[in-house]
Amino acid sequence: MSATAIAVPAAEPSYLTDGLTLRSWLLTTDHKRIALLYLGTITIFFFVGGIAAALIRLNLVVPEGLIPSAETYNRLFTMHGVVMVWFFLIPAVPTTLGNFIVPLMLGARDLAFPRLNLASWYLFVIAGIVVLYALFVGGVDTGWTFYTPLSTAYSKGHVVAAIVGVFIAGFSSIATGLNFIVSIHRLRAPGMTWYRLPVFLWSLYATSVILVLATPVLAMTLLLLSFERIFHIGVFDPALGGDPLLFQHLFWFYSHPAVYIMILPGFGVVSEIIPAFSSKRLFGYKFVVWCSIAIAVISFLVWGHHMFVAGTSLYSALVFSILSYMVAVPSAIKVFNWIGTMHKGFIRFDAPMLYALGFIGLFTMGGLTGLFVAALAADVHLTQTYFIVAHFHYVMVGGMVSAYFAGLHYWWPKITGRMYPEMWGRAGALIIFIGFNFTFFPQFILGYLGMPRRYHSYPPEFEVLNVLSSAGATILAVGYLLPLAYLTWSLFYGERASANPWGATGLEWRTPSPPPTDNFDETPVVTEPPYNYPPPELVQRHV
Amino acid sequence: MSETYLPHEVQYSSARHQAESAISGMWLFLATEVLFFGALFLTWIYSRHWNQAGFDAGAQHTNLAIGTVNTVILLASSFVYSAGVAFIEAGNTRRLVQCAAAAWLLGLAFLILKFGVEWRDDFAKHLFPGADFAIHGPLGGSARIFFEFYFLGTALHGLHMVGGLVLVGWIIWRARRAEFSPALHTPVIVVGLYWSFVDIVWIVLYPLLYLVGRGP
Amino acid sequence: MTLRLRRLWLALALLLLAIEFGASFLPMDRAMRPLLLIPAVLMVATVGTVFMEVGRGPAVVRLFAVAGLLWLTILLGLGSLDPLTRTDYPVQSTSPQ
Repeated sequence: MSATAIAVPAAEPSYLTDGLTLRSWLLTTDHKRIALLYLGTITIFFFVGGIAAALIRLNLVVPEGLIPSAETYNRLFTMHGVVMVWFFLIPAVPTTLGNFIVPLMLGARDLAFPRLNLASWYLFVIAGIVVLYALFVGGVDTGWTFYTPLSTAYSKGHVVAAIVGVFIAGFSSIATGLNFIVSIHRLRAPGMTWYRLPVFLWSLYATSVILVLATPVLAMTLLLLSFERIFHIGVFDPALGGDPLLFQHLFWFYSHPAVYIMILPGFGVVSEIIPAFSSKRLFGYKFVVWCSIAIAVISFLVWGHHMFVAGTSLYSALVFSILSYMVAVPSAIKVFNWIGTMHKGFIRFDAPMLYALGFIGLFTMGGLTGLFVAALAADVHLTQTYFIVAHFHYVMVGGMVSAYFAGLHYWWPKITGRMYPEMWGRAGALIIFIGFNFTFFPQFILGYLGMPRRYHSYPPEFEVLNVLSSAGATILAVGYLLPLAYLTWSLFYGERASANPWGATGLEWRTPSPPPTDNFDETPVVTEPPYNYPPPELVQRHV
Repeated sequence: MSETYLPHEVQYSSARHQAESAISGMWLFLATEVLFFGALFLTWIYSRHWNQAGFDAGAQHTNLAIGTVNTVILLASSFVYSAGVAFIEAGNTRRLVQCAAAAWLLGLAFLILKFGVEWRDDFAKHLFPGADFAIHGPLGGSARIFFEFYFLGTALHGLHMVGGLVLVGWIIWRARRAEFSPALHTPVIVVGLYWSFVDIVWIVLYPLLYLVGRGP
Repeated sequence: MTLRLRRLWLALALLLLAIEFGASFLPMDRAMRPLLLIPAVLMVATVGTVFMEVGRGPAVVRLFAVAGLLWLTILLGLGSLDPLTRTDYPVQSTSPQ
């Protein structure tokens, strides 16, 4: 698909050339430039978190742990979690692809609140600096979950510093979500009715609902935690009559919906790519739409499944277990819809499609294993083992990171005006898929066999699987470094892209690549349903 | 009939489109604040549930007089600011300034009573849950928890009030420069929403802090 | 709305406050005391509808207000399920003297 016959003039004026000073970038209110500012920032954090992961896998190569200090190991997995969750996964798609594409897809010239958008980036950067500070002065050993009483009373790490960073990042999240919701309600182009919105927008809407309603609870939780750590008095302290489980309830009230913040944008990206690379309408559009909304709502009702062995009442655990089964249903429906879309489609295996297909496979595995642990009896054995680690890495990394790369490749021509080298793109997708499975599949087995998570050493009988996992991690690392290399290369030497190199539907493809600052010369008017590809029977293909 | 052109940002189709979007955005922000304080209210529920005797024992040491007067002050402040919004809708800038100033002064009075008088008194009575906490015995632990809730809740509310004073002050400043008109006064509305919301938070905090734990 | 009508609404809010205040002196079961929040909820409704004019403006305003309240209910309601159903095994109080 890379050899387009359309001749493109070189370097037409676009948002990239509209102001070349540093000031024009740092004080921009253009959503497209802000998206690139975010892209740079989260890429840095991805590699910070990735280095922590590399050190973790390195440690686990031998049963006694290669890193001599267990405390250091604890700080490594905490940093890995904190950075990857709040500084990569949660912002990844919304702040980069979302910020760039949402106004274009809406047919708007910018988001509802452009200055708030810039402020959100600055908040994110400040938050990141605070967290990096916490890391460099020694880090935290509590895990990204900051459970009490370790975090309030016993941890020797820099808990408050880390928490302040996360707290500030939360405001960035809320600002982004608020901007998207108001934009999607208020800035749709003429003719863009709700049922003509591309699923990417519905997904980001659902994501934003969670962003704005869940994050404030985290903010308060972190404040309560900080109060108790600083003043040694608190609502989580059982010696005073407080309830340590209150912390877990409050924390997971946010953090469970947060995982849907991470995955919903991925669903949206995949829902754009599958139709585009099957040249076929999205199967069951309304189902996909309402499943996105259902996931956003039900995600708030299941947090107790993180606490099955914590000491909550059995009755409460039962309720949360049942609700957790319910939340899986809309996700499963989407998988069927994607497969239905591909059925009888004209499928091309360009890099975005390979990543999207990888997403479907890996996410489905991760999602199904979530059902294992949603069962109370099974969870008693599987909780706090590597089974859980594998489960969430399958959905978050195999799923979400693949979807992020899918979207990055898909919209790369639009964002940069350049095509990436297709063979390298496909190679990267394949290497990631293989490396990922090698890294994380053994961990399902390890967990089932009883290896606990967050332990710096382990019994010798688990060594082979751990070595396999660490070996896989090196392959995965290559897979992640490859796009960094060839995408950067493409910025300078990539073939120039036309407005619509994929032949996809959607308003973002009706403007040049890269777009002018004001997005559209004339406000587009929408008259067709989304994914308006002709039915396969009617198309003559010359393959 | 010709329409006066009112300025608006490029992504909006008209000034009214932008105004309504700004108002919508503020309401959404207030929804996030509901969840923020909501988490604190869940904490109150848990803390009182597990230790009702000790928790209420703490609550009986709050200053009911100041708390009640402060509630009246905030209700009046919310009322008078909203009257100011109605005035500018009718074109009366002078009354807007007076109403906003009255709201501002009432807000300041709240803060002075709350932090200058009440908190100072609370600290003097050793009600801050520190080393020399006033309530001893088996109820002391939960009373401490009550006062963590009290100090954190009133501090957070107070911070929001300070933010509100800055915003209302900004409105007064802009209004005195005749920047608002019946057609264009969105900031006045948006700040009013925030100001009334901070009042709402207090309306809920008041019984949680001063009334529920008391009584015969 | 006229200033006079607005003042009446303020009077209503103050009346609700007086009721809430007065009721707090009535003898009632400690577990029933949270019902004192009912007048507070009515005051919130008054401020929200009259002073904040939730009924005015585009429909999304009401969507956002309802969403905030609905999610608050989920937080407080589903969040209370555990403490209400947990068996508490009392222990010797170790609170500092």
